[in-house]
Amino acid sequence: MKPGAGVSVERPMRPIIFICALLPVLAGWAAESLSQRIDKLIAAKAGRQPLAEPASDSEFLRRVYLDFTGQIPTAEGARKFLANPSADKRAKLIDQLFADARWAETMADRFHVLLMERRGEEEEWRKWLVASFKANKPWDAMAREMLAPEGTDAAKAGAWFFITKRLEKYGQNPTDHPGLTRDVGRMFMGVDLQCAQCHRHLTVKDYKQLDFQGLYAAYSNLRLQNPNDTIKVKWAMESLLKKEMEFGSVFSETKKTTGPRVPFGVPITIPEFKKGEEWAVKPDKKKGVSGRLKFSPLREIATRMATPENPYFARNIANRAWFLMMGRGLIEPLDLTHTKNPPSHPELLDLLAKELVAHKFDLKWLFRELARTQTYQRSSVLPKGGAPEHLFASAKERPIAAEPLLRSVLLATGERDRVTKLDEEDAHSLKSFGDLFQGAFANAPREPELAVTPTLKAALFLRNNEALLWLVQRREGNLVDRLIKLKEPAKIANEAFLTLLARNPSDAERAMVKSFLQKQPTLQNAVGDLVWALLSSTEFFVNH
Amino acid sequence: MNPLCKPNEHALSRRQWLGGMGGAAAAGALGGLVSPAVGEVLKQKEKQVLFIWLDGGMSQLESWDPKPNTQFGGPFRSIPTKLPGIHVSELMPRMAKKMDKICLVRAMRTQDNSHSAGVPRIQRGDPKNRGVIYPYFGSAVAQLMGPTASGLPPYVWVKPGSGGFKPTDAGFLGPKYGALAFGDGQPPPNFLRPATLSPEQDTARNELRRAFNFNYAQPRRKANNEANTYVFDTAEILLKRREIFDTSKYPQKEKDRYGNHLLGQHMLIGRKLLEAGCRFVKVNSYGWDTHGDHFNGTVSLVNRFDQAFAAVLEDLEATGQLDHTLVIAMSEFGRTPRINGHAGRDHWPEAWTIALAGCGINAGAVIGATNAQGTFVKGDEYDIGHMFHTWFRALGINPDAVEFDNGGQPLPIAHDDMGVIPGVLA
Repeated sequence: MKPGAGVSVERPMRPIIFICALLPVLAGWAAESLSQRIDKLIAAKAGRQPLAEPASDSEFLRRVYLDFTGQIPTAEGARKFLANPSADKRAKLIDQLFADARWAETMADRFHVLLMERRGEEEEWRKWLVASFKANKPWDAMAREMLAPEGTDAAKAGAWFFITKRLEKYGQNPTDHPGLTRDVGRMFMGVDLQCAQCHRHLTVKDYKQLDFQGLYAAYSNLRLQNPNDTIKVKWAMESLLKKEMEFGSVFSETKKTTGPRVPFGVPITIPEFKKGEEWAVKPDKKKGVSGRLKFSPLREIATRMATPENPYFARNIANRAWFLMMGRGLIEPLDLTHTKNPPSHPELLDLLAKELVAHKFDLKWLFRELARTQTYQRSSVLPKGGAPEHLFASAKERPIAAEPLLRSVLLATGERDRVTKLDEEDAHSLKSFGDLFQGAFANAPREPELAVTPTLKAALFLRNNEALLWLVQRREGNLVDRLIKLKEPAKIANEAFLTLLARNPSDAERAMVKSFLQKQPTLQNAVGDLVWALLSSTEFFVNH
Repeated sequence: MNPLCKPNEHALSRRQWLGGMGGAAAAGALGGLVSPAVGEVLKQKEKQVLFIWLDGGMSQLESWDPKPNTQFGGPFRSIPTKLPGIHVSELMPRMAKKMDKICLVRAMRTQDNSHSAGVPRIQRGDPKNRGVIYPYFGSAVAQLMGPTASGLPPYVWVKPGSGGFKPTDAGFLGPKYGALAFGDGQPPPNFLRPATLSPEQDTARNELRRAFNFNYAQPRRKANNEANTYVFDTAEILLKRREIFDTSKYPQKEKDRYGNHLLGQHMLIGRKLLEAGCRFVKVNSYGWDTHGDHFNGTVSLVNRFDQAFAAVLEDLEATGQLDHTLVIAMSEFGRTPRINGHAGRDHWPEAWTIALAGCGINAGAVIGATNAQGTFVKGDEYDIGHMFHTWFRALGINPDAVEFDNGGQPLPIAHDDMGVIPGVLA
């Protein structure tokens, strides 16, 4: 070989190799999507822990339907999706569901349960939630509307419910201003300051009494009011705050004072006004004018809390979004953020918070990125040897709230249309079923719904409630009717599994169904019981 | 010492209980349910609790701690009891004969004199304010000890009025440790199998459900399916004990012995629930808040209590159950020695009595005393925190070693400045 011959061949190659080697680095941080970066961080932390297989098409389909449309897919939808051979069908389905009108409704449902913890329902609140998600209102704007509601703007009035429902008395308890203060910290910053109300927190060093009291200075200052001409919902009147609030620890004699203050933030100085000049708009009860203070502690708190400058704010919503998608927060409990309780994946939480800020608190964008991750799309079938929950090496079973559970049951049993047409008073009307499902599956007021929680009352309801059993009786055009008409056990099994569980039965399951149907005296009852057994199964009851 | 109930013997941890629950659930899944429970529980001699709550405040002066012929003594006499030198009100002739079976603590001094604060704080053991809502004693026992081998719900409550699931009793432990209340002695909604469904059909459909669940749960985390299996099985076990709630089938003689009044009938249902294997049975009686016409009211109230309490003790003793059942009879406070202008007695947490019997309790002991007029405690006085320590010890749970776990925060199960009341434990 001549000297140089090789060189002439090699020379043009060099830049190519160079570029190839650099490509991932160059393109990496610029073009790599958040979902890819999430998966890398999860894999890095998992190390040698094996990861679960990707979810099957059925698992994936059912999961995204429950998460983004608030109900299971139809049998027809499942059939089509399973038969679709295209490689990008999952990404396409995610796009399709994020463009669906049900996306905003479902988000509204989920945030309602998360934020209100079963305290009750309110139409204006729901409208506000739906409209906010529909418009993809940034989370910081939503938070500010809840923290310092502008009741006179009809489009925002519904946001009052977060505060006003918590100011309603229940039982013999006094108006729970401390509870409202606590929930502001929990829901918007991920810190439960309750134990720091009367003294420094005994187990969490970061939480000082001042952190509770600064927030309390603003939120104890509210009095519940009825709707009037300017505000069409229940609202709360903010009293004039002229001086700092005094507080002291029960452990010491020393008294301290604070003005309104975002936890861990700087105190807000209370400005002085000449008497009579405190109001931008004076309240007038007779004329139904609610008034507007020049210095509103609520507005001060809202603008300082719901902002990128407050690191707790972005991390809280990032953690809660992660929780909604994965069934477990990066920080657990969701409302106990402090230095001694670090996230399972610190870099990941930092990344989510930073990216969310960069995307101006665009929740739709964040949820879509999360939906696209392999982490979200993993199977709940454990890898060999199991997997600790905090590594997110497999999907975690999540609860299905009472409302999506009812929608799924009605859809699957083929009774939705009939039930919707019935008069409210009817024992089988949508309203009756709504009440029954809330009674059986929703938690009591003020109990967060965070995990799958089978209860005796739910089991009794599923086993014995006459309205529920009515759904699995044969009626023209319903699921049981359709199945009976199929006659052959294998076909019945296929259709029942597809309708209720969005998957095909295994051979073993088909055999189980066949032997069950053959043993029962009448096909009519037997098919109803088959549908019941699937409806009452753990698989149906959880989002897995 | 009672050989069956050595305090400290088995300090139960939460982990052990959860393990036990998993076992019970697995047994349910493995074909068939635990056999009818009476025998099982008796055989296992598992510790249980009968908690009798006399809501509104029973007068100590017309019951356990009479002061006849004194300024505040009221019109009733006292009568001698089985215990030499110990007298109770003449309104309790039956219990007078059974005083050797129970233990009285006559030196209770508690903190609350209002119902709204007293009822929950007393039943929560009035722990120091830790910014969390403590569980009622029943929820605490349900969490610390779990259900018995019967698989029946661990905390049940027989009461007049509304029934259903009462999650709030559980405080920070979470709703699943709440009470299952049998309002007016009736079972919860959806308790009975509908008439349209035959038992055979019910069994068959549930077998199919279990088989589906088994397939589903096999490759996944077990906890959710185990919990689901457990609640479905509990529903079935409850159903098998439905005769408990059909008091029309009870022998008339038995009903008469407990008394043909709500407290008597509810006590009888309570006893059956204990026999069936519920861990903790609370029986409620209302109407003890006698601010007016106290003495007339008290005659019937105390008489009914005397009858029902004596009957249940007699039966628990006859079956041997008393040896492993802790029995507690109490209110949120006592009543004022001073008689008000309406011939009533008001709320008095300063000096009152709690009655105990059974498991681990020093039968025949009378602990502490009030002064001659019954106005205050003479000598050592005890708060409800002391009582919680004593109860937990009687159940074999060491409050110095066992803690609640509130999402990572350890919390004492009883007031950590207090301890056992001397002389109460066997």
